[in-house]
Amino acid sequence: MMPFDTFPAGVFPAGMQDHTPMPSPLEIIDARKSFRTPEGGTMTALDGISLKLASAEFVTLLGPSGCGKTTLLRTISGFETLDAGEVLIDGAAVTQMPAHRRPVNTVFQRYALFGHMSVARNVGYALEIAGRDKREIRARVGEMLELVGLAGMEQRAIQQLSGGQQQRVALARALAAKPKLLLLDEPLSALDKNLRQKMQQELKALQRELGIGFIFVTHDQEEALTMSDRIAVLAHGQIQQIGAPTELYQTPANLFTADFLGESNLLPVSVTGGRACLTDGQSFAAAHATGAATLLLRPEALSITPPEGHALSFTGTLRETYYTGTDHQITLETPAHGTLHALLRSGAALPGLGSEMTLHAPAQGLHLIDETLP
Amino acid sequence: MTLARRKLLQLVGLLGAPTVFLLIFFFGPLLIMLVYSLLTPGLYGGVDWIFSHLNYGRILGWADTRYEKFDPVYIAIFLRSLKLAALTVVSSLAVCYPAAFWISRMRPGLRDFAIFLVTLPFFVSLIVRLFAWVLILRPTGFLNQGLMGLGLTGAPIEFLYTDFAVILGMTYVFIPFMFLPLYGSIEKLDMAQIEASSDLGATRFQTFRKVILPATLPGIVGGSVITFIPALGNFIVPSVLGGAKVLMIGNLIEQQFLSARNWPFGSALAMLVMSAVLILLIAQFRLAKKEAQS
Repeated sequence: MMPFDTFPAGVFPAGMQDHTPMPSPLEIIDARKSFRTPEGGTMTALDGISLKLASAEFVTLLGPSGCGKTTLLRTISGFETLDAGEVLIDGAAVTQMPAHRRPVNTVFQRYALFGHMSVARNVGYALEIAGRDKREIRARVGEMLELVGLAGMEQRAIQQLSGGQQQRVALARALAAKPKLLLLDEPLSALDKNLRQKMQQELKALQRELGIGFIFVTHDQEEALTMSDRIAVLAHGQIQQIGAPTELYQTPANLFTADFLGESNLLPVSVTGGRACLTDGQSFAAAHATGAATLLLRPEALSITPPEGHALSFTGTLRETYYTGTDHQITLETPAHGTLHALLRSGAALPGLGSEMTLHAPAQGLHLIDETLP
Repeated sequence: MTLARRKLLQLVGLLGAPTVFLLIFFFGPLLIMLVYSLLTPGLYGGVDWIFSHLNYGRILGWADTRYEKFDPVYIAIFLRSLKLAALTVVSSLAVCYPAAFWISRMRPGLRDFAIFLVTLPFFVSLIVRLFAWVLILRPTGFLNQGLMGLGLTGAPIEFLYTDFAVILGMTYVFIPFMFLPLYGSIEKLDMAQIEASSDLGATRFQTFRKVILPATLPGIVGGSVITFIPALGNFIVPSVLGGAKVLMIGNLIEQQFLSARNWPFGSALAMLVMSAVLILLIAQFRLAKKEAQS
């Protein structure tokens, strides 16, 4: 960029007079990392991952265990160094910066609270290390405990707290030093279901309130769908797809994402001249290039009563039903398409197990995946 | 039979035998020593049943019967024993702390083998191991030969029969004592806490001071006490590696019983060591209690 004083006062070339764009809270460029396995081989944990936060987003790294999500988180916090690639936090490269100097904080999976310190010293640890004034630390600790709903618990010992309370202390501790980015490594996995759902809502609200980026690691797809602004689905050290939860659920880019997020029925189709044809001859209009593809039918898209207009129908034998209160989850064994899963609203009239039934799906707006089934 | 009686019977059944054993073979002799320390030495060893405070007066520095000439030679030996025992604790801590850290991070199979190696010296006689050190440290020993061969020194250095040799020998002997309690607390250390500390901005040194050291303090205190107590009363190491030059309180007690045949004075000296140990144990107990409360 040219120095400002080469231009007459008040006159800047186009594009320079407006405010400088806010730097991205986190940018990862082509991150690569492999480990040596105890057997002597190498394991690629990160295979060219690039990720950029547009603003203070809630981004979830979702994937099965061993997909590289935890390694990616640890390269952001600084506990792992990259073989190649860059990590930028708030626009500044931190790739070579040691963990203790990075402006990010982590909520650890098992909380990693300091057992020999009180709640207050745990929460104030980062400020104590930074050599802040005692009164300032006390004020900030009080503020943080209030934020996470533990006001007045300063002097408690860590061992006296319940799992949920420890979780909140870990959160308060990580937020006390005002990080530019909060990293969360499967923080809810140790909590029971009710508490987990409550914490999910609270975390999301907290992220909006604080206005900083959250990077959340989980293998729980439901958790990812509920909380995230965007989800990055990881497998084999690569980002399979990144996007909003609805986008990933409704229009997955590949078979892995379709299969990993939610229940899915995947049926092979062949496309010719704008029409997709199922193996049993049923066809529907599809804006897809000619060739083989895969049709994604979510269980809730199937119904007993045929929808208006053109519809696909699947006849088979009812094999299993699970009643969940709001829905019936059923399994239908069809001669033409194998096993299909369907989610029917509670109250639907179901025939007995082993009897024949027909399910329908609207033939419009169906999503095709480019990949073919193995 | 009521529940309370049954519980009492269980308690007696479980703890009865060891209690009786300790009463007869530990507490009994201790009581005899206490009484002997207040008696007068017999002409050919043993004791005469004449009560006297002169043994304790002699320890405090008055060797004569009228408390006129003050020469605190035994207090000096006692203080020097305290110093040597303390230095033994410090040097075994310096050896064992990093070693325990290292071993606790090994993969399981190797780790068990390393712990076995630490306890291996127990399988060889203490005397044999100490004479091995004599061979290493003496003027014509391996160490001096090596140093002279490398041209680091012209004449052999006096290693043997010095404080250094005694501290080295005691450190060597008590390393397993220090290592095991230390290892116990270091192994329990949560690696995630170390990462959390670093994540929150602490340098390695700050993490060590604020997280690792406090978390392993019980092991440090436990190992130090269990090393200090036998080091304070030890007489084998100073008599083999310290010779006649380095006298510790343990040697003094041994001499009083076996050579000087002054059992009452030996008993009084033993009471001195006992009380030092008791004070130390009470202090440790108080510290542990305070820690448990906070």
